[in-house]
Amino acid sequence: MNNYFTQLGNSTKQRARGMGQYGIFIAFVVICLILSLITPKFLTVSNWTIIVTQVSINALLAFGVTFVIITGGIDLSLGSMVAVTGIVASLLAHPDDYPVIVPILAGLLAGVFMGAFNGAIITKSKVPPFIVTLGTMTIGRGVALILSKGRPVSNLSDLFNFIGGGNILGIPFPIIVLILAFVVCSLVLKKTILGRYIYAVGGNEQAAKASGIRVNKVKMAVYTICGGLAALAGILLTSRITTGQPNAGAGFELDAIAAAIIGGTSTSGGTGTMTGTLIGALLIGVISNGLDLLNVTSYYQQVVMGAIIIGAVVLDGWNQSAAQR
Amino acid sequence: MKRIYLGLIALAMLAGCNQTSEKESSEKKMVIGVTMLSMQNEFIVNVSDEMEKKAQELGIELITVDAERSALKQIEQVESFIAQKVDAIVMNPCEVEASSPAVTKALAAKIPIINVNSETSTKPSAFVGSDDVESGRIAMKFIAEKLGGKGNVVMMHGYMGQAAQIKREQGAREILKQYPDLKLIAHQTGEWDRAKSMSLMENWIQSYGKDINAVFAQNDEMGMGAVNALTAAGMKDKVIVVSIDAIPDALQAVKKGTLDATVFQNAQQQGAKAIETAVKLHKGEAVEKEVLIPFQLVTKDNVATFIK
Amino acid sequence: MTLHSDYILQVHGLSKSFSGVKALDDVQLNLRRGEVHALMGENGAGKSTFMKILIGLLTPDAGEVLFEGNELKNSDVREALKQGISMIHQEILIVPELTVAQNIFLGRESTQWFSSWLNDRDINQQAEILLKQIGLDVSPKTKMKYLSVAEMQMVEIAKAISNNAKVIIMDEPTSAISDKEVATLFGIIKDLKIKGVSVIYISHKMDEIYQIADMITVLRDGKYIGTKSAAELDRKSLITMMVGREINTLFPEKSASKGEVVLSIKNLSQRGKFENISFDVHAGEVVGIAGLMGAGRTEIARAIFGLDAFSSGEIVLKGHKITIESPRDAIKNGIGYVSEDRKGVGFIPALSVKHNITLASLSNHTKAGMIQDKSESAVATQMMNDLKIKASGMDQKVTHLSGGNQQKVVIGKVLLASPEIIILDEPTRGIDIGAKFEIYKLINELTTKGIAVVVISSELPEILGMSDRIVVLSKGKQTALLSREEATQETIMKYAMLH
Repeated sequence: MNNYFTQLGNSTKQRARGMGQYGIFIAFVVICLILSLITPKFLTVSNWTIIVTQVSINALLAFGVTFVIITGGIDLSLGSMVAVTGIVASLLAHPDDYPVIVPILAGLLAGVFMGAFNGAIITKSKVPPFIVTLGTMTIGRGVALILSKGRPVSNLSDLFNFIGGGNILGIPFPIIVLILAFVVCSLVLKKTILGRYIYAVGGNEQAAKASGIRVNKVKMAVYTICGGLAALAGILLTSRITTGQPNAGAGFELDAIAAAIIGGTSTSGGTGTMTGTLIGALLIGVISNGLDLLNVTSYYQQVVMGAIIIGAVVLDGWNQSAAQR
Repeated sequence: MKRIYLGLIALAMLAGCNQTSEKESSEKKMVIGVTMLSMQNEFIVNVSDEMEKKAQELGIELITVDAERSALKQIEQVESFIAQKVDAIVMNPCEVEASSPAVTKALAAKIPIINVNSETSTKPSAFVGSDDVESGRIAMKFIAEKLGGKGNVVMMHGYMGQAAQIKREQGAREILKQYPDLKLIAHQTGEWDRAKSMSLMENWIQSYGKDINAVFAQNDEMGMGAVNALTAAGMKDKVIVVSIDAIPDALQAVKKGTLDATVFQNAQQQGAKAIETAVKLHKGEAVEKEVLIPFQLVTKDNVATFIK
Repeated sequence: MTLHSDYILQVHGLSKSFSGVKALDDVQLNLRRGEVHALMGENGAGKSTFMKILIGLLTPDAGEVLFEGNELKNSDVREALKQGISMIHQEILIVPELTVAQNIFLGRESTQWFSSWLNDRDINQQAEILLKQIGLDVSPKTKMKYLSVAEMQMVEIAKAISNNAKVIIMDEPTSAISDKEVATLFGIIKDLKIKGVSVIYISHKMDEIYQIADMITVLRDGKYIGTKSAAELDRKSLITMMVGREINTLFPEKSASKGEVVLSIKNLSQRGKFENISFDVHAGEVVGIAGLMGAGRTEIARAIFGLDAFSSGEIVLKGHKITIESPRDAIKNGIGYVSEDRKGVGFIPALSVKHNITLASLSNHTKAGMIQDKSESAVATQMMNDLKIKASGMDQKVTHLSGGNQQKVVIGKVLLASPEIIILDEPTRGIDIGAKFEIYKLINELTTKGIAVVVISSELPEILGMSDRIVVLSKGKQTALLSREEATQETIMKYAMLH
């Protein structure tokens, strides 16, 4: 039958495609190996605790934006959402003001609201997400400055500061939040209807619609989730640096998008995994940590990071064209 | 086309409003155009507030705009001040070189222009501010004395290449030279940012651990980040942290003893003196070309006088 | 080396493997000057690999290609173009924002002032002559995006001519153009023949092949099967050559009996697209919708399925009027739709076979929002067996399947939403004969189960072979509703060209 060789051909293609994800994992392991050979301080429990703690904020944002990018969208307002939610939470987190749950919920609510706002405009107006979130990025920054009157909000309660700085059984709280978020996001993407629909919408919006999927609802959902995760990141950050800062999170969206892309999420939509994104975020964290340990100036860090982003996408492109042949 | 038209009408109406308000005031108020580096920076906001206070006291109208760290924007703002024929301009420059054309233009239009807080390479009519080199000296001197002239120091830079970063580093290095046993074991930028500096400090703790005796951060935000990281690692009481600016957060930390010292840059004096100098220039009175407001070291002993 | 002056292109022993799998195995082709040579074969037979070698996109592992007696060794597209081999791709490659003339001369722009300045006037003049030559009535200054698909194709032909092409390869050139435009295209091909240009013509449409081709070469599984003159090769033998076995009747015997009316379309109209369309579909019945390109066939299907809104009329399901505002409503009401635009509306390329198949019925496999992988896989495996979908496994991405198998995946997806009515829009477009036959069989099985089927097709034999009744459209109006007995190719064409 003529399909015999298409079948065979296809299975090799599949293997080549799968390499894209392993590729970044291998790159990650290799970089870790090199760093641990150069400096004995790299491969220690305490250093890794620090790396993962530092990575947690970017990873949370990257998880959110991974959902969005898989649907074929983008969210540039992440950094601003971090600032707004951080300010909202910190304004309510002064000692003896409210129970600690109040600032947390308020921050989350602010993020969810901003995310839903993005989603509503994108689905209702049909304006490209890039432009909508570029707008809300600026609006968000303005709102953060208005709420804080341009000044950092400090003097936060000890309990609130525990979120970003505390430990449970020796594990920093941000790491616990990160692990929980990763598990939940992975499950949502892999195991739920919403997850499947997210891939479908990004893979072929028309076909998704023709399969009875409410495309707009899916988009609303991803932007809202993204806002919620940004809020989580904003609260963690605020608590970690023990102040709410109106200019916090500037440029964070780019690091988050970079993590997703390094992890194999395609900006044209339809593909990507949370594991990939997590590795992407860890890779960024490891490089920044490693170069700090080696006392390399941040200039080189930026060059290295940029090269890795391009490298990851080029690698992905090669795999894809190999798969198409 | 239509939009341009509407814009013109709107402009005309605005102009009309301005004229009527001017006519209403019996005697002509002095107008000063103020362009500030960034209204997202707490210290700059403080200086701006102090200028506003002084202006109200003297019955002067201030037009304050935010350059948002863009030298280009700042030049455009100064051009617009010139077009509005303000009586004087106060500029808090974004950059040493890039903001210089604004000074040239104002001087050419015979409008006095005052630099506040930092200086452009083209000499303005007057400069009101503090010498950042001095702040670096004060901070590092404190560290040297605390450590008895011997120990390991790490330094956190601001954005590389900015005037404040260059000068604060210069001051710190001058002192380091005087104490050969005081070693700078690492220095890296924290980009004036608390979160970034916290991560940087965490990584340094991994790298150098107990070898670090003192941290000099070029601003308080970074200093606070270092304090957070050291506290989390249980090392704060063994490491000295000093930074610059004396923002309220830092003053609280000095009071609590978590931050060992900060260097007070006098926003009130800078703002007030800038306005006073502008008025004098407008009236044609003689002024000092450089009005230097001294820095003050803030430690636990004197912190109470700085907390409002 | 013998030099046959009447052969422009001679290919011997051409072989090409991809990762150890032979895509082409000892293939030959002899092409005379001024000859239209059809290249036939099922999808995956190796036609596109073969053509890619000819135009320099791929390098062969073995074999030689003689062009005008000289060996063509290059694997360089520019070089092949320079020698005189051009290809009109199935998916037209144009720059929509550039003008017709700019597209024709893309990469060979005319310049002036020490070749620093584009000379658009010059290329416009040249393009004008070319367009006149092929009888295309558009201005060279029109932006490409305003042209119809057929016109774009003609522009590509003009481009090939301007390249002094001696051999033009046309890959499924009629897959997206109307019958009238096909006639124009064939006119151009005949002109090209007279000028001594040779054409390699790839198509699945038998009618076309017999209209236009002088010679037919058949490939199967990457192997050369044979070359015959079109005059001496009848359809049945051609199909046997292509499939490798005999297919006696293309359309299987019908076995279903007609039941109650399931769906009634009453005076359905959509402004500017179609008006007053009315027909019933019974359980177990196949209603065909015929008409020329642009008659509004697909538009009607899209409106019934809720992809587009309609302006007036009613959709009645088993005696109850229903409102359909989205495909979701349609699916809920038991209507399934397999789009003509398989890539655009049919499947999600990056998802696996399994995930595509279950996409429209995913809620049947969930507990508390979580997908139950076991039940999902079971259903997908079942459907893959039922429809004989050939894939390396249910986790293979649909984008890597052949056209026929992709179509089956889409049909499987629609079937799993358990529809009572299925609308199949061009269900066999671009898929090979073997797969076509299986889809016809499947339609029969559906009607046996009592499902009502609506088939839209441009291929009259298909409509005639499958339908119990046929709705004929002309320019958005319903001009006839023919029974199976009344319908012939001629009557359908008569009504399709009415007005």
